[in-house]
Amino acid sequence: MKRRIAVAAALAATLVGAAACGSSSDSSDTPNANASVNGAGKTIKVWLMVDAQSGWPEVVKQANERFTAATGAQVQVDYQQWTDHLAKLDTTLAGSDVPDVVELGNTEMPKYVFNGAFAPLDKPQFENSAQWLTGLSAPCELDGKTYCVPYYAGARVLLYRTDLYTKAGLTPPKTYDELINAAKVLKEKNGADKQFSAFYMPGKYWYAAMAWVHGNGGDIAKKDGDKWVGTLSEPAAQQGLTKWAELAKTYSSGDPTKDESDQDAVYAQGKSGMIYGNGWELGAVQEQPKDPNDPASAKVKTKVNGKVATAPLPGIPSFLGGSDVAVTAKSPNADLAAKWAQIFTDTKSQEGLIAKGVLPNATTLLDKAAAVKGNEATAQAAKETWFVPMAPKWSDVESANVLQNMLASIATGKATVPDAAKEADAKINEILNAS
Amino acid sequence: MTVVDSPSAPVQQPAAPDPADGRAKGRRRSATRAGFAPLALTLPALLLLAGLLGYPLVRMVILSFQSLGLRQLFGNLPPENIGLANYVKIFTNQTFYEVVARTVAFTVASVLITVILGLAVALLMRRVAPSVRIAMIVAMMFVWAMPQLVATQTFRWLVDSDFGVLNYLIDLLPGVDFANHSWFADPIQGWIVITAIVVWAGIPFIAITLNAGLTQVPKELLEAATVDGASAWQTLRSITIPILKPLLIIVTTLSVIWNFGLFTQVYVVRNGRPEEEYQVLATWAYSTAFKNNNYGLGSAAAVVTVLMLLGVMAFYMRQMFKIGDVD
Repeated sequence: MKRRIAVAAALAATLVGAAACGSSSDSSDTPNANASVNGAGKTIKVWLMVDAQSGWPEVVKQANERFTAATGAQVQVDYQQWTDHLAKLDTTLAGSDVPDVVELGNTEMPKYVFNGAFAPLDKPQFENSAQWLTGLSAPCELDGKTYCVPYYAGARVLLYRTDLYTKAGLTPPKTYDELINAAKVLKEKNGADKQFSAFYMPGKYWYAAMAWVHGNGGDIAKKDGDKWVGTLSEPAAQQGLTKWAELAKTYSSGDPTKDESDQDAVYAQGKSGMIYGNGWELGAVQEQPKDPNDPASAKVKTKVNGKVATAPLPGIPSFLGGSDVAVTAKSPNADLAAKWAQIFTDTKSQEGLIAKGVLPNATTLLDKAAAVKGNEATAQAAKETWFVPMAPKWSDVESANVLQNMLASIATGKATVPDAAKEADAKINEILNAS
Repeated sequence: MTVVDSPSAPVQQPAAPDPADGRAKGRRRSATRAGFAPLALTLPALLLLAGLLGYPLVRMVILSFQSLGLRQLFGNLPPENIGLANYVKIFTNQTFYEVVARTVAFTVASVLITVILGLAVALLMRRVAPSVRIAMIVAMMFVWAMPQLVATQTFRWLVDSDFGVLNYLIDLLPGVDFANHSWFADPIQGWIVITAIVVWAGIPFIAITLNAGLTQVPKELLEAATVDGASAWQTLRSITIPILKPLLIIVTTLSVIWNFGLFTQVYVVRNGRPEEEYQVLATWAYSTAFKNNNYGLGSAAAVVTVLMLLGVMAFYMRQMFKIGDVD
């Protein structure tokens, strides 16, 4: 009886062209992005991070419009903050009213993939999937299945003040020594202002400090047999931390207990010579929304408008940051969600990102990105990158703030580099090897 | 109220033993009758409390004996029972003791400062002109009405090292260099800021309550003391404080309960990522449960917090009933 009803229902559904929506788990676990779904009257919920709202709202808009044109379904985008989005996601996913598509940072992804939060996807259905950047796609893979789609990448570069450089007779540094020399000259010329930072470096900026670690041949942790071992106290890593701390203490007058979240606003005050930031921060430091609470409000030019340029940071490999989007395992509209992810990450959407100074998700598109003016430095930086340890529990190290707290204690002078590194190693060992 | 109170007058009882017995029986019966109606009347409130407070509390206690992580959460799998393992983990953890010590130290300091300043403000309110008193009450009501989150966010901006007005103002003093001063690099300074926020928000309740209490201090007593040559300090210590004592005890216990559960101020001021030297019990339990997805361990930490506060709460309830008896 039950089966007959199911057959009848399936038949009826096929007749009206609304095939297997949400009941996709009956046939297979993999949502089908190419299924012809009549989404009229449906709304999928998408959680994106705040960067899309402040940096490239047009890209989201065009993807939503194409999605609605293709399926008839509407999209509701909720923007999340980096500080608390994981705790929010955990509690939401525990319930039944879940978002259909979720963006996560590529370092955050493995834990969720590992714990079954997301539905497996049919990789070939996504454009450029054969050329995805491994830093973005590796966290999506588990047991030969793909659980998320690379969305964008970010490489960090040096942002410097062209006017101050010209006045001091400096050119963009080609070696690390030249960089330090530039910082020294800028400090001599502008040091009369107590608030001036030759190189503004927040004390908890772990993406920066770990780049110094990797640049000196160190690493955060490595796998030894089936155990993870923190390696920050090894000589090479310590050397990197020491060099980073020297730079931060000597040339930055910023708060050693801050992270990088407001460095654009600080830099826009015109009291810093250089910062280390994502390629798209070049735009963010020069133009900011008039009303900080409304990212859609008119942009106003900041004090440093037209006086900033980017260059690769010599000798320091860039962290390959970025985000992936995934379809939640509990999504009631999994096919529609996969369709949205397909449109949001296709070449057309990626080109929109490239125009905004954001790096695309595939190697084939990187050359296109390098051709866009202002992107040269980031595209070049993306060629030499490092990534966090690929441990399933890595994001616990991030959310426990192990690295930030270690760096803050070094930057404030509370602990020496060897002591702080040793303490951090112990914590990393405990977290990564926790059962 | 009078029904319950008047029969307990002991004078009538020795006069006639027999009728007294009969009355006692009747009293008991009437007590049962009266006992049912209050129960029925409070039932909705009790049900609401059981649903909103009781159920989560029971769930939390059960959870504290289980291991619940993301896998169970996302897959709707049943959590695993692990007995006392979570509690063992807490009580063998060095961090736990540091966090408890920090929480207790903060509670003692902040409550002392709040109560003393609150009492001072209340005493001041008795001395000033009525118009000034109303202005004070209005100002304090605003402080009281402001959500913790908003107030803390505002304070955070005031003390921000790059954009904060506090550094700017201090830096204006000749010979003082406070440009880009970080208030949180040194935990002592950081805790001063946090305590200031908590005290600032805590004063209105205490001042307004104690001000109401002060109106109960008989003027004649104070005048008599003045005539007898008592100093202001002596009057305060020997007359005002003893009369205020029950109220003082209640506001102090309440403050202890509130401040012991400190969370918002630390969490917001440290941008959602408190460093180790800023962790208190509530933020620690939250970090464990929600940031590291160890919900069982987090619940156990919360249960321990509740147990620690239970003593204070028992004391508070006793005081409440004592005051009820006096009335």
